[in-house]
Amino acid sequence: TISNSVDEMMIPPMTKRTRHCNEENEDKFSDLPDCVLIHILSFLNTKNAVGTCILSTRWKHLWKRIPTLTLHCSDFSTLRSFDKFVSSILSLRDDSIVLHSLDFDRNGSVESRLLKKVANYVFSHNVKLRRLGIDVKGDICHILPCISSCQTLTSLKLSVSPKGRYNYEKTLFPKSLNLPMLTYLHLGNFAFCAGGDGPIEPFSAFNRLNGLVIDNCTVKDTQILCISSETLVSLTMRNHSFDFYRIELSAPSLCTFAFIGTPYQMLCGRHLNAIKQVNIDAEMLANYTEPPMILLSWLIDLANIKSLTVSASTLQVLSLIPDFLKDKLSFLRSLKSLKVKLKPLAYGLSMTLKTDKLEKALKAGSELSSPIPDGIVDFLLQNSPSTDVDIADCSRFDDSFDQLPPISSSLFPQFLQPSSQEHVMDDLHQRIQQLKKVVLLTKQYLHLAKEEITRERDELLALKGHMMRLSKTLDALEQQMHMAMNLWQ
Amino acid sequence: MAAEKSSIKIITLIAADGSVFEVEPNIVKEMKTVQSYIDELDQNTVSIPLPNVFGNDLAMIIEYCKKHASEEETKEAKEEFDFEFVKRMKSDDKLRLLQAASYLNMESFLQFMAKAIAAEIENQSVEFVRDYFQIESDFTPEEEAELRKENEWAFK
Repeated sequence: TISNSVDEMMIPPMTKRTRHCNEENEDKFSDLPDCVLIHILSFLNTKNAVGTCILSTRWKHLWKRIPTLTLHCSDFSTLRSFDKFVSSILSLRDDSIVLHSLDFDRNGSVESRLLKKVANYVFSHNVKLRRLGIDVKGDICHILPCISSCQTLTSLKLSVSPKGRYNYEKTLFPKSLNLPMLTYLHLGNFAFCAGGDGPIEPFSAFNRLNGLVIDNCTVKDTQILCISSETLVSLTMRNHSFDFYRIELSAPSLCTFAFIGTPYQMLCGRHLNAIKQVNIDAEMLANYTEPPMILLSWLIDLANIKSLTVSASTLQVLSLIPDFLKDKLSFLRSLKSLKVKLKPLAYGLSMTLKTDKLEKALKAGSELSSPIPDGIVDFLLQNSPSTDVDIADCSRFDDSFDQLPPISSSLFPQFLQPSSQEHVMDDLHQRIQQLKKVVLLTKQYLHLAKEEITRERDELLALKGHMMRLSKTLDALEQQMHMAMNLWQ
Repeated sequence: MAAEKSSIKIITLIAADGSVFEVEPNIVKEMKTVQSYIDELDQNTVSIPLPNVFGNDLAMIIEYCKKHASEEETKEAKEEFDFEFVKRMKSDDKLRLLQAASYLNMESFLQFMAKAIAAEIENQSVEFVRDYFQIESDFTPEEEAELRKENEWAFK
């Protein structure tokens, strides 16, 4: 087939494009070099990549030479088959091929032996490793030495929760991590612990840090988390806990702040003015007092926001501040662009709003159920009326908020979220109180709804479903408390 | 940089089907095969035949290079362009562009195409992938069964 390569060029493109029109087409992509095929395979999850071994003789051993390993348990039917896969890959992969990237993501408590095996593999292939991701439930001491050894690492995603059925504790963030080339750091389920002297600055050692994601993390023995970095440009946080602490930013280059979840942490620091772009997707399960106020304080304290992107639920959370539309605020003076992303509201928040609005409606007779609260856009733009406003339906596809995987949903996950508070029993007690409050609220809504919307049978049916889910959640939580009590006493 | 030394103002690229494209030097910077050729020259214009790339494909590659070489375009606009660029292509187009990218030694465009192709074959059946790359299996059914058994840890 070498000789016909010149002839093939003479074939007009339209003929060439038609499949099966002549025999020469059969092997038309076979002249792609191995390295190009390996390039394609490196973008696949490793399970798929290994699967190509039965395509033909040429592909039989190609997978052994891929420089990236994407090992996700979600690609497997059981954890046992996943573990077997990981072991086999590490044994059979061509040892002489450099490793550029390894991403190991496994649910449930991982056997120390497997974790050590992965760590050893990283350790012995760390010369050119640029990207490392480890998301496990296990003991961080098994992987810490291997991470520290990867001096070429530019991207690290680390989520380590302690073993055990419930995640009452977080893993303490190691102080000794020194990765000079690191530009992107994603941390999940860590507690940043105060040292002997002064506030904690866990990130000041990463001299090139550009992007930081703090997912479901907290602080221990302190009320302040300092984020100090000369180079940090983008900060993303997700929080579903009730942990109240302050985040002190000392990051003069910080330009983008993104937040997902329930706002419980105050922002402070000298460089808040540097932040130009803010993305917020806030939600609440019930009508708590603090988060709406904290959300508003962010918009006031981040005085130089040029571009603000919010989900509709963020505006709904803001609207729960009593009478706040009447206030004249000196905020958002530099705003040039406001984007509102319409997405279906989370269940808890939509119930809270319904109750809140129905109360108001019974008093004042105002309209119900608009995805964006009336008057709120004008309120946000009171100091920058010429801002571009873009309202987009994002139930389909979303760029800025989708970088964090969704928290698995059963019952009301926010209530069953791992907690980091020192006193587990207190925390559980607090949550039960909060959940009871929601139950009360819903009962109240049921009562109001009976008066107001007796004709809307669908609504009533949905409410009953809601009550059932709530009581199931409450049962689960009480059972959890019971078990925790046995565990701790 | 080597490219700055060259005095070339306009580069004429001639595709396999004879179609002609006139481009500025910054457009071909990504095409290392072309770049290394013009680095050697000291003249204002040059014609380069590309016998392995068809006109339709070259037009798309140039469109991509123009967008990505532009300093006025924002990162978001470029991402949006990439998204639409891949969307309007059939799988054959992607493979031909990948071939062209490999021939022209275009690192980031090759990466872009490889990623788009990977997205199409991810989680697909063996038959689908064979058909996609137009691979004729040279395994007997027995050999294939043997191979599956040998690597059964990867098929669960």
